[in-house]
Amino acid sequence: MTDILQELKGIVGDRVSASPGERCCYASDASQVVGLPDFVVRPKSTSQVSRLLRLCSEHLIPATARGAGTGLAGGCSPVRGGIVLDMSGMNRILEIDYENQQVIVEPGVVAEKLNFALKPYGFFFPPDPGSMAMCTIGGMLSYNSSGMRSVKYGTVRNYVLDLEVVLADGRVIHTGKKVLKSSAGYDLTRLFVGSEGTLGIITSAGLKIAPLPRTRKIVLACFEEAEIAGQAVIRIFSNGITPSACEILDRTTLQVLKLCDPLLAIPEDGDVILFEVDGTESSTSEAARQISEICQPTAKSVRIAVGAEMDSIWSARRLVGAAISRLDPTKTRIYMGEDVGVPIKEIPALIKKVQQIAVKLDIPAMKYGHIGDGNLHVALFIDVMNKEQWEKLRLAADRIHRAAMDLGGTVSSEHGIGLARAGYLPEQMGMEAFSVMQSIKKALDPKGILNPGKMGL
Amino acid sequence: MNLDLKAINQCVRCGSCRTFCPVFEESGWESANTRGRIMILKGLTCGLQPDLQVLGSLNTCTTCGICTENCPAGVNPPEIIENARRQLVSLGKMTCQQADLSRNIFASGNTFGDGRDRLSWLTDRGLLTKKADYVYFAGCMNSYRYTETAANTFALLNRFGATMLPAEQCCGSPLLRTGFDARRFIDENCRQIANTGAKTVITGCAGCYTTLKKSYPQDFRVLSVPEFLAERISEMDIKPLDLTVTYHDPCHLGRHNQIYEQPRQVIRAICRLKEMKTSGKAARCCGGGGGVRAGYKDLSLKMAKKRLEDVPGEVDYIVTSCPLCIRNLRDAGAGEKVIDLVDLVAMAMQ
Repeated sequence: MTDILQELKGIVGDRVSASPGERCCYASDASQVVGLPDFVVRPKSTSQVSRLLRLCSEHLIPATARGAGTGLAGGCSPVRGGIVLDMSGMNRILEIDYENQQVIVEPGVVAEKLNFALKPYGFFFPPDPGSMAMCTIGGMLSYNSSGMRSVKYGTVRNYVLDLEVVLADGRVIHTGKKVLKSSAGYDLTRLFVGSEGTLGIITSAGLKIAPLPRTRKIVLACFEEAEIAGQAVIRIFSNGITPSACEILDRTTLQVLKLCDPLLAIPEDGDVILFEVDGTESSTSEAARQISEICQPTAKSVRIAVGAEMDSIWSARRLVGAAISRLDPTKTRIYMGEDVGVPIKEIPALIKKVQQIAVKLDIPAMKYGHIGDGNLHVALFIDVMNKEQWEKLRLAADRIHRAAMDLGGTVSSEHGIGLARAGYLPEQMGMEAFSVMQSIKKALDPKGILNPGKMGL
Repeated sequence: MNLDLKAINQCVRCGSCRTFCPVFEESGWESANTRGRIMILKGLTCGLQPDLQVLGSLNTCTTCGICTENCPAGVNPPEIIENARRQLVSLGKMTCQQADLSRNIFASGNTFGDGRDRLSWLTDRGLLTKKADYVYFAGCMNSYRYTETAANTFALLNRFGATMLPAEQCCGSPLLRTGFDARRFIDENCRQIANTGAKTVITGCAGCYTTLKKSYPQDFRVLSVPEFLAERISEMDIKPLDLTVTYHDPCHLGRHNQIYEQPRQVIRAICRLKEMKTSGKAARCCGGGGGVRAGYKDLSLKMAKKRLEDVPGEVDYIVTSCPLCIRNLRDAGAGEKVIDLVDLVAMAMQ
């Protein structure tokens, strides 16, 4: 171990730690997956990452990449020990080439900071996870994350043009070119996006950016129950309207939002759908009017919010996932079964099933999420000192995952598999498809040093 | 260790604090971030040993409270961390700097270990009445380092009938922030305050303020100098100054006690105010609090330098209401441009 530490120091200088306290800090993300690393390193360049992986390959040391550690599936928890590569120090925006509608960034760039930098040019990077104030682009790439606006803008995968990747043996490759489209060869870019650091470590990314919409408006429609709300959403899509965001917030979520910001003018009861439309002043006015009209017959109330009020609603919405403890300080939100997705039409059925699971197990569940793309976030919260509640939580999460798969859906829409959901992957994909994944893993990481144990690999 | 597991478990490790923690911004290591500190505390309950690195993680928190302000889960990390520091100190686990600081205070009654008279700056001791409605509590920093500010403050407050304690002791803040017991000093100051008959204690130090208000028995009202001045500004002979200043919110006045508007009210009565890039609840810490300046001076000054980047252009002074902030911002390069609110008021009264 001392020899390895010396070698690591030779590569990254004092940006390495083997102290028990530091290792403890890098043992997990926001999930319940824990694994203590032997070393933490904070590389500053591609060449350092390359040398680190060569060292790992030579000594068969597990190497786990980590961004801001905001993940919810244990993707960056080093469950087999080894080295954690904290990539958040590689945080430069290397190029803003708005004329070619793209940027080149290092993986440690925080998503929100990228958007601050792009704003003066009139552009933005559309994927917007709730954690965008702290999560890194590298983490977003590794989990193919998305967010509230994916209903219109899609996921991270839709925005990646080129990746610089360090392979398990230290070789450095580029997966694409600085072009908006290419039909040359296998789509390696898309392969690495969402691979959770199991195939290589991303050291820079060429990303497509989009022009900032001139204006945005929100329609808040409140319904008696989720099923009616879901039907309204389906009617809106079938009328050819594509909102830029379409979020469902249940009664509990509304209570928590109020606690986050008591001044928020949101309904206090019912199931609310937040429709956001973006574009020009006239196109958003027209879309907001149409959405209001479609919702009106079945909604308890409908109103439009703009400007500062809209910003406050979005700010509170982004934090709601972690804010559940404000409702009941004796309970903590545990991220399990929190990211299922189903075809949009099945959302009402999924909500109903989740409710039944929660009632049967007597475990409180807050439901919110991106109803526009079928992604439901379920927040289960328990007294973490109570063993019985932990058992119920695990059972509830398992049943929620299975309910989503039964409805033709996925155990994760945007948070990834990590270790937390690894057990479901062969079942969801089918063994044949999963064995293709295993073959790819073997081809790119024959020694199995890259984030071992994740995604069932 | 008997740590408050309920409070620790409230943290969902979402990492929101990475965006705000000024120490993490300088260090980049997770152990220098609030989330990391909480994970370390959890580790301590499961066998992690409190070695120097662990103490460094816990002791570099400036207790600025910006994480509390922005924590979606409603966690109050400074409270959890101060509690942990207390427990560790009670087990004899502390750094040399912590030990030196407490030794100084216990030996001399002030943070500097200074043996000189605390009231050496006071030219006319006859102004100290035995009984009074108000007590001006100067604090260690103004008593020994910024004596002109102490003199200006007392001159102002004395007009309204304030006296001072004959043998004021350190309020106990540095001890409490770094994990030590401050009862001896609290009891002694309380005894002297009771002897004056005063029902209100006024202090110009944000650290003293938060300590007097939250750690002392509630036998008297505690006011900060900005609060007092805001109440009495119309009774003072203020002449407007052709100056533009900015205001730095001390964490222990602002986020810890919600005193945001009063100092601004006083400034606006005197001159133009231009806000810093981050202010009010979002104000960046100067890096001096929580024992960080005493224990980790370089880190502390780096944070102060970062704070100075928030200063808007073309201001004549950076005004604040905490001598700890003044020292750190001055030492980080701003020099005499940083002044106390009272010094601005004194200029307007000349």
